[in-house]
Amino acid sequence: MTGKRVYRLLSRVVDLRPEEASCTLLLFFYFFLIQISAYIIEPVKISLYLRWLTADRLPYAYLLSALLIGLAVALNSELLQRVRRHFYIAFSLLFFIFTLILFWFLFRLRWPWLSLIYWFWSDLFMVTSTTQFWIMVNDLYHPHQAKRLIGFLVSGGLLGGVTGALVASRLALSLGTENLLLICPALLLGCLVLVYFYRRLPQKEERTVSTRAETGKPAKSSPLATWRAIRASRYLSALAAIVALGMIITTLVDFQFVSVVGRTFTEQDARTSFLGSFLTILLIFSYLFHILFTSRILRKAGIRMALLIAPAFLLLGSVAIFFIPAGYLIHWAVFIKGTDKSLSYSLNQSVRELLYIPVPSEVKYRAKVFIDMFVSKFAKGLSSIILLVGFTLLHFNLRQISLVVIAFILGWILLNLSITREYVNTVKRNLKIKWQDADRVINESLDLDLTKLIFDTLESKKRSSVLYAMNLLDLLKTEKMSPELKKIISYKADEIIARSMDSVLESGGQVLIPDLDEALEHGSLGAEVEEILYLSSYQEVMRDYLDRVSKDRSREAETSRMEAAKALGLMEAGSAVTRNLKRLLKDESPDVARYALESAARLKQREFVPLIVRHLGRAATRDTAERTLVDYGTKIIGTLKDYLSDKDEDRNLRKAIPGILARIGTQRAADILSLELKKQEEEVASEIIEALYRLRSRHPNLLFHQELIVPEIIRLIKNSYQFIFQLKEIKDKKEARLLFQDLENSLARTLKHIFELLSLIYPMEDITRAYQNICLRTKKSLDYSVELLDNILKKELSLYLLPLIEDLPLETRAQRCRKLLKNLEKLSLGSEPGDRKTG
Amino acid sequence: MVISTREKNDILIVDIEGEIKRSDITDVTLHQWIKQQLERGKRKILLNFEKVDFIDSFGVGEILASYISTNNLGGKLKLVKISKKLFLIFQVTMLTKVLEIFDDEQVALESFFKE
Repeated sequence: MTGKRVYRLLSRVVDLRPEEASCTLLLFFYFFLIQISAYIIEPVKISLYLRWLTADRLPYAYLLSALLIGLAVALNSELLQRVRRHFYIAFSLLFFIFTLILFWFLFRLRWPWLSLIYWFWSDLFMVTSTTQFWIMVNDLYHPHQAKRLIGFLVSGGLLGGVTGALVASRLALSLGTENLLLICPALLLGCLVLVYFYRRLPQKEERTVSTRAETGKPAKSSPLATWRAIRASRYLSALAAIVALGMIITTLVDFQFVSVVGRTFTEQDARTSFLGSFLTILLIFSYLFHILFTSRILRKAGIRMALLIAPAFLLLGSVAIFFIPAGYLIHWAVFIKGTDKSLSYSLNQSVRELLYIPVPSEVKYRAKVFIDMFVSKFAKGLSSIILLVGFTLLHFNLRQISLVVIAFILGWILLNLSITREYVNTVKRNLKIKWQDADRVINESLDLDLTKLIFDTLESKKRSSVLYAMNLLDLLKTEKMSPELKKIISYKADEIIARSMDSVLESGGQVLIPDLDEALEHGSLGAEVEEILYLSSYQEVMRDYLDRVSKDRSREAETSRMEAAKALGLMEAGSAVTRNLKRLLKDESPDVARYALESAARLKQREFVPLIVRHLGRAATRDTAERTLVDYGTKIIGTLKDYLSDKDEDRNLRKAIPGILARIGTQRAADILSLELKKQEEEVASEIIEALYRLRSRHPNLLFHQELIVPEIIRLIKNSYQFIFQLKEIKDKKEARLLFQDLENSLARTLKHIFELLSLIYPMEDITRAYQNICLRTKKSLDYSVELLDNILKKELSLYLLPLIEDLPLETRAQRCRKLLKNLEKLSLGSEPGDRKTG
Repeated sequence: MVISTREKNDILIVDIEGEIKRSDITDVTLHQWIKQQLERGKRKILLNFEKVDFIDSFGVGEILASYISTNNLGGKLKLVKISKKLFLIFQVTMLTKVLEIFDDEQVALESFFKE
């Protein structure tokens, strides 16, 4: 069967990508074969033990198994570290094949204690083979991938379980119990063949961090070292505790079930018949539950909800014992045992395996083997001690045991909640922040105003000594003049002085030549200048001059107008002379206007605002006008909003306003931008989104209203769907290559906006982490990002967003988006003004 | 502040000595003194700052008030030998655009006749 066929076939039952088909099918069959063997080995184990050592000695088997399994864990950890994965699994399989044949032979010798050894051996087989299978899964899949596929893999195991149980029940009488063992080596040989193909599969990319590489020594792998590694990690500790508590609860529930069955069915054959039927129905129910619900629950409700389902049902069942009449106890026992087992075979197993996926590979395998084999066996041993103490010594009845179970379930729920948080943190650790927000970096590391002033000062050297002196004064006021800066500023001082001479030599002859470098040392200069500027006599002296200069629109007078524009900013706000600034703000020369705008920023007179706003539509002066309006601050927020809302205003002018509001950076600015978002056409909305993002980035404490942001995210998702539909339409048309690229760019831009909006209502760092890793587009970065988003976003958002991000062929993506679009239309109906016109 | 005068070709040369500052106001301020000279019919005045050690914003105000008073009567008030710092202040405040400032007394005197 070719890869495409396998994909086509599997894609009907499981959500997978073409490249995942082969390995998924391989793992499915591997687990299927392993579980058939396990469910043949298991009844043989119980049957032979009961025959030779009786049920009374069962706790000893539990304890022995729990103790000896520790040694097996140590050996397993060592082999995992030292031997290549496929060799390790192949040798294990060969060991089990050989020992199965050996047991078949030895059982003929009728040694009673051999059944105890076989009990331990079968436990070893169960945990080793299952653990090895999940290690293979871990090697191949990333978390979100695993979330899609794990349900399918578990169903392979369940089908194997049903098949194994049926084989055992059907063939036990005809072949004999011991002879059933000979079926298993054939099945395990099949597994061996699959391991050969597994070796050829590409493994997922992992972090390159290696303890061996860093230290030059192999990582410690002893059980004690593994235990320490688990203790050192909050996540692994919680995971180990969850497994242990789950095992204790299962054992206690199993004990209650067996007790009730023992009381209800006193006759052996009837009891066996009931147990056989129960097991078969249980496995079939588990399989159906798994097929129908596990993947859906994981996809739609997420890990947190999936982790709470089993405890919730078990809690309900344990409480129910206090209200159930004695005659109906068997129904209660079937319910609670059935719930525990069926969920443990289906949902719980899937979730538990998912929880291992984001753990760093250097510790994951050792920890998994240790937890699955040792911790769970230890818990089983502990629960048998609890039962021995509670039931044998303290003579607890079923209800009192239920109280113990309830206590453990409550602890289990708390641990499950805690591990969900840790799970998200562990996924995050796999997603590094790749780059810093450039806008933020520039703002934090560069003093833009100072840089601009330095450039203005240097530039003014060439034009006018007056401008130069005024800029120099501004620089002086900043108190940021380092010796190096002074050197740069006073470079070519002679030339400037010569120019300064020219500028004042109106009547010929010599003039004073001030030494600017020296003057820089006078810190009090600024204060003195300010005092002079405030003098009424000064204003009177300058009034005619400024009036004349500001009216002179000739090119020759441009420098004088620049000087005037600069000087006016140094004067007292509201004085008669500053009115000349209005004229200069209308000046056609960008240089004059720029100085006038800077002066307006100092004076902050409201009458200048309309003239400043006009400059937002003018490329040459937009930047300065923006800074000027930012300097006006909160008092002009309302005015800016009016301009932004006025559709008759120049679009370039309106596009500049969101950035200004973002730089003003108040809650009101954030509210206005959020409100305007839905009213604006595409181009302006795009500016608003970027402004909101900057606001959030610089002012993390600002609040953004979900009811305003979410509809916009939905709208952008809808737009993205449309881009995808169009991309699919033109994908194979050579003549539409440019359009294709254009659409791809539009899609990328829209996706960026979606994430910018998401960062307003979700933790910014998480969203940034996810977005940057999505941009990287490696399989790992993409998968972990999707998993993170799936865990932090509300389901109604992630459901529609993830198909835009997931690694899907264009056709599949378009198909999914089309399905989702219908729901999305309903969702946004009534709340949306409809599609916007693009600019 | 000590003021002494000389006269050359109808031009009143005012030699100022000491400091012109708010905290050191004498009975007659520079502006009042100039006004007295204007009342006496003087219309061409050259203020010589060669021996002025310090001048604050009050002093600049006095100069500007004197300039206005002279100008309003159709006269001319010019400055000579001001300090480097004061020149820089005049530049920053654009007063160099309005006031006539010279480094050399002779050149300053000649400038009165060129107009």
